[in-house]
Amino acid sequence: MGAVLLTLALAAAPAGANVISPELPHSPNADDLNTLYWITLIVVVALIVVVNVALLSAIVRYRERRGREPRQVRSGRRVQLRATGVLAALAAATFVVSIVFTQKARDRAPTGPQGLQASSATVTGSGAAPIGTSTPPASQSANPLEITATGQQWLWRYTYPNGAFSYYQLVVPVDTSVQLDLVTTNVVHGWFVPELGGKFNAVPGKVNHAWFRADQTGTYTGRSSTFSGAAYAADRIEVSVVTPQQYQDFIARQKSDIQDAQDIVVQQIQSGQTP
Amino acid sequence: MTPPPATTLSPGRPELVTSEYPQRRPRWIELTTSADHKDIGRMFIGGSLGFLLLATVEWVLMRLQLAIPENTMLRPEFFNRLLSLYGETAIFLFAIPLVVGLVYYVVPLQIGARTTALPRLGQLAFWLWAAGAATLYSSLIFTPPESGVNPLPPLSSLAFAPSNGADVWLGSTGLICLGFVCFAVNMIATLRNLRAPGLAWRRLPPFAWAATVGTWLLGFISVVMLGAITMLMFDRNVNGIFFEGDAGGSPLLWQHLSWIFFNGAYMLIVIAAFGAIAEIVPTFSRKPLFSREAVMASLVAIAVLGTLAWMQNMYSDPIGIGWSYFAMAMAMLAVIPFGLVLFNLIATMIGGAMRIRAPMLFALGAISMIAVGLAGELGQSAVGVAWQLQNTTDATASTHYALVGAAILGGLAALHYWFPKMTGRTLGESLGRISFWTILAGLNLSFFPLTLAGLQGQVVDAYKFYSDTGVSGYNLVATIGAFVLALGIVLALANVVLSLRSGVRAGHDPWGGTSLEWLAPSPPPLHNFDLLPDVRSHEPLRDIRDAIARQGAGGGEKATESQPVA
Repeated sequence: MGAVLLTLALAAAPAGANVISPELPHSPNADDLNTLYWITLIVVVALIVVVNVALLSAIVRYRERRGREPRQVRSGRRVQLRATGVLAALAAATFVVSIVFTQKARDRAPTGPQGLQASSATVTGSGAAPIGTSTPPASQSANPLEITATGQQWLWRYTYPNGAFSYYQLVVPVDTSVQLDLVTTNVVHGWFVPELGGKFNAVPGKVNHAWFRADQTGTYTGRSSTFSGAAYAADRIEVSVVTPQQYQDFIARQKSDIQDAQDIVVQQIQSGQTP
Repeated sequence: MTPPPATTLSPGRPELVTSEYPQRRPRWIELTTSADHKDIGRMFIGGSLGFLLLATVEWVLMRLQLAIPENTMLRPEFFNRLLSLYGETAIFLFAIPLVVGLVYYVVPLQIGARTTALPRLGQLAFWLWAAGAATLYSSLIFTPPESGVNPLPPLSSLAFAPSNGADVWLGSTGLICLGFVCFAVNMIATLRNLRAPGLAWRRLPPFAWAATVGTWLLGFISVVMLGAITMLMFDRNVNGIFFEGDAGGSPLLWQHLSWIFFNGAYMLIVIAAFGAIAEIVPTFSRKPLFSREAVMASLVAIAVLGTLAWMQNMYSDPIGIGWSYFAMAMAMLAVIPFGLVLFNLIATMIGGAMRIRAPMLFALGAISMIAVGLAGELGQSAVGVAWQLQNTTDATASTHYALVGAAILGGLAALHYWFPKMTGRTLGESLGRISFWTILAGLNLSFFPLTLAGLQGQVVDAYKFYSDTGVSGYNLVATIGAFVLALGIVLALANVVLSLRSGVRAGHDPWGGTSLEWLAPSPPPLHNFDLLPDVRSHEPLRDIRDAIARQGAGGGEKATESQPVA
């Protein structure tokens, strides 16, 4: 039954390949994850089809009929070994392929020619950290743009290298290697933008890392993906990918706006008004 | 409790016949004070089927909320409470107890035991479980738990879950796990000590072997879960810091411990289903199980590898990529035993003469659906794939394909198969068939669209989704499918209730089984067996049938009244 449905879905694949795959990737790491997805999908569908076809043909062929005496076969060591061998080869191949593409997805690609260049003095931080770990990074020549993403109930806050911050919407320059440092102020939150490659959890007391390099300007949507309480479903994520110039304008404006707002508050306090 | 020395064909009527004595007390008092494994097993099965209905209602309500985008039918808190209750009900009150009940009823009969080794401990197991269930649902009067299926601290810590709902979850789960430990200890001791003479480990019927593996697994994972629960109780109530990241604890510790439990429970349910299916398929194909040693070894490997892969739920967490690869290795190695079991089950059918009665139909459906679910899980055990699909409805779909396949289809297969033994009546055949096809259609209609929705990034556990995410159609179909699935479950349960009174009467051995439980009368008397044969192979009943056939052919001594064989 499931096999039939899957085959139907596969037959419909040319109509829209992204019906049976995650959203189209817009970052090198998402590309690798997508490739791995297609490979494992073939393995998964093959397994489902093989088991169900074998099952159905056994049901059709070996029904009870008059005069049919069941063969009392008890075992076959050779066939067991052969089946084990095939399954082991399948498991090993899937394992190796998974590791290859997962490692590729973890390798942070350098910033491209159209991206924000490291010389523009907006890059700070300790440098690149391996994705999916909290271990300190090996030094790399081209540091990524490092942005801290703070999970909160139920809004993400992004802190940019110049100290500016924004809520809900993350603004990043196109073609630039961006590293997110995922932290949380309360419960576990998952940062998940499928087009930019995978989900990573912000866990209290730890710093997790994700990276991407968006290949097109535009808006990518995602959502928090680890259950975080009452308003979990409303905790969406929006990544706005802009040109490096627009990005620098944005963080400069954010910084001065935040500064202005703070100045007003300070003035009000000094002049005796309660804010 | 040594069984009296008896040969296969000793004539005469046994001297002790307790089954014909009238009961001294009303039936319900007998039942609630009973330590008999059959009474406890029946209560576990009955209770778990009741909670199946409840879990279905909760699932349908959640699907109703998710039928259309941005639905406001249920408030978010209410949805989260339903979600938490559903998770606890489906796992702790339906799936595992159904396994426990079936094992507790059937396995002592299968191994030729007249009782269990520690009957009072078995009784305690049931009443601890019942107390846990009562604790959980009594919270409806106050505040039900609302921290999700697996309440990860800090979401379940005092700061973010100040209501007593989280305490209720911990209390009820703790009581239930304690019950599971009691059950496991009793079953392990029973299997160790009370097997019939000659019934070596290697001769155990597949379901009894699955129970051996499963009870060890259940005992182990329940203890791990009890540890985690105790720590979280300390954190919540006496200022413990086990899971407080700022104070030197680690929230990830809960994830490790709880995922050991949930992964192990998943494996337990699948192992038990495989065990039951490995009884049903040979019986209805009239062939021995193909390569039973390979199947037995595979069940052990599934328990070990599947549980060791617990970190496959934590790929997104900062645990170090090496640990993710370790979990992936374990999950992918588990493909070998999973594949071998499926291979041998299908190989058993080849060359056979298959009668498709309701138990067989459910077993065949279970094989198909478990294969779909396990293949999906294999895909998602690849780290890179899981980064995209974990916590999406794609993961829900795979899990439910495998677990609905194992617990509902496999559970109903086992129930259809052993119901005649438990009650002396057969479950209705035509209603059984109708319920099977309805459940199968509902399962696929409900969960295949969720697979596609998950690929579009719809996350699980969320009380609503947005209309601009392109998953509205999938969710509507999934909701319709949930109603079909619920209808199938209601039909199956109605079949059980109706057949209790009006099912066709069954004899000792309605299906032509080969293990010892079919030697006992249906339903078995308090002491299970009047006489026990010496077991000479893994198919003792077949040996008896052959012996009778030989005697009949040779014109020798006829089998006497005390030889209750088919």
